[in-house]
Amino acid sequence: MSRKIFRNRRNGVPGLVFIVYLSVALAPSVVAQTPGRGVLTGRVVDASGNAVANATVTATGMDSGQVRNATTGTDGFYKFEGLPPDKYRLKFEAAGLKTLEIPSATVEGTETVVPDEKLEAAETITAKPTPAQEDNLPNAPSSSSKAPSLSDLGLSPEQTQGNAREQALLDKRTHMLKIHQRMGLITTIPLIVTVATSLNAGGKNTSSASRDLHAALGGLTGDLYGITAYYAIRAPRVPGTETRGPIRFHKAMAWIHGPGMILTPILGIMAFDQRNRGEKVHGIASAHGPVAIVTAGAFGAALLSVSVKF
Amino acid sequence: MNKRILIALLLAAPTAFAEADAQWILQASTLTYHVSHPLHQTEGVSHAAKGKGVCHAGQCEFLIAVPVKSFDSGDSNRDLHMLQVTRGAEFPLVTVRTRLPESAAASGSINADLEIQFAGQTAQYEQVPFKVETQGGMTHIMGTIPATLADFKIDPPSLLTMPVKNDIPVRVDMTWRPQ
Repeated sequence: MSRKIFRNRRNGVPGLVFIVYLSVALAPSVVAQTPGRGVLTGRVVDASGNAVANATVTATGMDSGQVRNATTGTDGFYKFEGLPPDKYRLKFEAAGLKTLEIPSATVEGTETVVPDEKLEAAETITAKPTPAQEDNLPNAPSSSSKAPSLSDLGLSPEQTQGNAREQALLDKRTHMLKIHQRMGLITTIPLIVTVATSLNAGGKNTSSASRDLHAALGGLTGDLYGITAYYAIRAPRVPGTETRGPIRFHKAMAWIHGPGMILTPILGIMAFDQRNRGEKVHGIASAHGPVAIVTAGAFGAALLSVSVKF
Repeated sequence: MNKRILIALLLAAPTAFAEADAQWILQASTLTYHVSHPLHQTEGVSHAAKGKGVCHAGQCEFLIAVPVKSFDSGDSNRDLHMLQVTRGAEFPLVTVRTRLPESAAASGSINADLEIQFAGQTAQYEQVPFKVETQGGMTHIMGTIPATLADFKIDPPSLLTMPVKNDIPVRVDMTWRPQ
């Protein structure tokens, strides 16, 4: 069973043609699992026959008032499962296309689902937009007493249409930042131990073993820090997002502990060599300790800024 | 002949009045969700809800929709994580539907059955109490929806490996005006 409905142009706006190919069927497997419940499925295509992805399809039970939403996939198909027997009003909304409403499609749990009469005719219908569609203004009152719908609220298509690509971007971002967070926590452990062992690495009576341990821990900290930083730097940015709140401080601290994590081991190697030659640490190498403390402090502040509310 | 026309008009008049249904428009709103974490108490606020009520035969059907993106917790990173865990890009709206008697606006409190669509799921909340105040033609509605993450099959996000609590009560403060 198929059906095409053309909506004509409005005020000379080209290309606003919305064709809905609707097929309604009962899924035996679902009926078997949930007796008395049906499945409503169909496909949304544009004037060229191309699938319309991310179109919102709203099914409103005429008797129950129950509202269900579905979003078309990249192939334009949508599916409602487990629908109780009822007559459903179907509404199709997609960005750049006119909203289309189909008054009634019947779902009966034990019988083949029958769409309303208009849909049954396998012919093309050209329809002019109704006054209600023309007046699709923010908070415009309905022209009838039916239940309000999303199109009555004056929301823009960007606000109502799902964006699978953006969701995928957010998923990837969160995944990478979760690793960043875990690695940051793990890095904290050798960082603290490295700072603690510095007490035995830089004094007059220190052994080379203490310095080796301190250097090894510092190296481990640096490696883990590098991995932590990688996941923050490579996490995708979400366009149009302004950085607000404690995350700004967290990012600002990276400009201190980032260069510090590069500078500290360089100065440490210089100090390490001087000490192993029996010299007192001198010159720029003597900045190793202060730089390390500032770096560790900035790292800790960055961690706390997103962990504890001040 | 004129009598017949007059009778016809008189008979038609009650029907015409009955069809002149009242409508309500959401004038202003503040929706606030609350998230509890062992280290944080966070609130996200949105003023971007849009709503409409249509009354017929003594019953009013209300629809309120608010973009998930519009909630602001004061931290852009947290808001983006919230958007991700609630699948806010895929399902960009939270919608609330309810049906109330037309006389509810005059009462001091109402108990509403709510159907909320969020994160691709639908949850029903029965008899949620709201306080109603009418002043200067505006109706002010306040209450808290006892939402939980589990209601919408949302995995609790975690910070420092500690997940947030399941309860995410949503405070509602809305001002409606008749159309």
